[in-house]
Amino acid sequence: MTTNASASQVTEAQPPRTAGQDGAAVELRAVSRSFGAVRALDGLSLEIAPGELVALLGPSGCGKTTALRIVAGFEAADSGSVTVSGRDVLHVPAAKRDMGMVFQSYSLFPNMSALDNVGFGLRMRKQGGAERKRRAGELLDLVGLGGHARHYPHQLSGGQQQRVALARALAIEPQVLLLDEPLSALDAKVRLQLREMIRSVQQRLGTTTLFVTHDQEEALSMADRVGVMRDGRLEQVAVPGELYANPATAFVAEFVGTMNRIPAGLLTPTQVRPIGGAGQDAAARAQADTGDVLVRPEELQIAVRPGGNGIVTDRTFLGAVTRVSVLLSGDVTVKVDQPTTAAAEMTPGTSVEVSLPDTPVLVAERQ
Amino acid sequence: MAAIADVSQAGQAAPGPARPGSRRRSFPAWRWLILLAAGAYFLIPLYAAFRFAGFAAFGQIFSQVGFSDALILSVKLAVVTTLITLALMLPTTIYVHLRLPRLRPLLESITILPIVIPPVVLILGVLQVSPAQLKASPYLLGLEYVILAMPFAYRSLDAGLRALDLRTLVDASNSLGARWITTLWRVIMPNLRSGLLSATVLTVALVLGEFTMASLDQYQTFPVWIVAFDQTSGPVSVAASLFALLVTWVFLLAIAAIGGRAGRGGASQVTLFTVTRQDRGDSR
Repeated sequence: MTTNASASQVTEAQPPRTAGQDGAAVELRAVSRSFGAVRALDGLSLEIAPGELVALLGPSGCGKTTALRIVAGFEAADSGSVTVSGRDVLHVPAAKRDMGMVFQSYSLFPNMSALDNVGFGLRMRKQGGAERKRRAGELLDLVGLGGHARHYPHQLSGGQQQRVALARALAIEPQVLLLDEPLSALDAKVRLQLREMIRSVQQRLGTTTLFVTHDQEEALSMADRVGVMRDGRLEQVAVPGELYANPATAFVAEFVGTMNRIPAGLLTPTQVRPIGGAGQDAAARAQADTGDVLVRPEELQIAVRPGGNGIVTDRTFLGAVTRVSVLLSGDVTVKVDQPTTAAAEMTPGTSVEVSLPDTPVLVAERQ
Repeated sequence: MAAIADVSQAGQAAPGPARPGSRRRSFPAWRWLILLAAGAYFLIPLYAAFRFAGFAAFGQIFSQVGFSDALILSVKLAVVTTLITLALMLPTTIYVHLRLPRLRPLLESITILPIVIPPVVLILGVLQVSPAQLKASPYLLGLEYVILAMPFAYRSLDAGLRALDLRTLVDASNSLGARWITTLWRVIMPNLRSGLLSATVLTVALVLGEFTMASLDQYQTFPVWIVAFDQTSGPVSVAASLFALLVTWVFLLAIAAIGGRAGRGGASQVTLFTVTRQDRGDSR
């Protein structure tokens, strides 16, 4: 089966390099890690440019947190290398790696005020009390919590705690900032605000950042590049737009954004039989190879037509667009995005004609 | 800072403390009855003992032959036992929580053994392995008491550690550059303060009240002295028992007070075997 990229191929966009950034370059090369019979990482390779924010995105158990913990020094790799600014750090203890980390669960030290939490890393670096407090105060101001310096963690909300945790991680001016799903415990509104804040602060400081999340919206909106992981391997690393428009594999295509998978006959490796055509030409169907066409809801074309190839079953209002669910022949349901005004006439039960774009996102093996 | 100013409003409202009385529960009469019955069960014998001893006996305790030696020996044993118990159990419990969590049920089973094994067997066991110079020393009792204190110390520390997200706190401390000993001293122990105090008080109370082992080993600790003195002066012996009870109560009140202060600092509160996990902030 021919696709626009082999399923096992990893396409990796070159990391953007920006003049004036003082972050460190990070490189993971063929990193593997097993837990008993489970292979959590399977030869993971990734380059992160100085000052870049790369998100590792994937479903639970894909190995993204293991990768982050290996970079942080909390887990050992079975094989491979991790370099920071060209120096192999795999055998450097976590305490000496000079990396700031924000954790998924609230990790502030309960016995310390916000100011003391932020100053903890500076204290470990033997920085004097006055300078330490000044610097910790600056970082709290940076995350908008200057007025909460004397508050203890249990006096702060979840969002505030994560902002203090970010300030604490940044206070040591780390070579690399590691974010382990820092927003997942927060509600949607605070998550959105913190997302913007983290990105803003990261860009201002130019700190190289590795961000792990299972939330594609977070990854796509915050990262310079996104790496999609599956079964301990990177399926694709690319800038968000590229990842969405040109997924390398069917897994990436279906994991990122909403995707329709439509069984279709293949006339040539890149040409697909129009929807509804297969049932009309039995001879051609027998000759042609078969596969699934992957196409985004906004790329499908739809028009009301009596006797068309589909029936509208449902509509979901999404604001400017409405997502129309259509049952095609062969018991396949697809979702088609239409301007809300155009979708007004497509009530459930309406007969419509759905057609594929000239070039679908991806043609994959039949499932 | 302009870009930050917008988001500084995120989650500004901190979870406020519950208003006193806002969750006031009704306390029906039958609960008062149970409370009074239980109170009477404990207080009437104490009152009877107090009546029997009389005020004068309390004044005579401190001048009795052997009182100070016995009390000093018990206090020394309490200090030695507590230090050895914490030195052994704190790293062990932390290690099991961090590295071998699956062994926790096994450790719980092992630490319960001193309660079910007869004291004579424990004494013989300790005598088998203790150095020769310790066998003629009252501090041999300290080693025996360490075994006796193990179930209480382990459970206090275990309850305190369960109230913490230990893994994350340790990782956060390490990532900020702290070495293990610093993490233990500055992060784990302050947040385990109530658990440590609980283990300490239980160990001290156990040592100050233990009779069987000291008696079998023929050392005159404070409880052994009380029983021995009972043969010559009953009222003073009873007054000494009440005095010992008072000392234990003072320790328990101290842990309640210090545990409360630890709670205000944000650490979890542990009072003997009960743990109150502090709110870790809501999702705002």
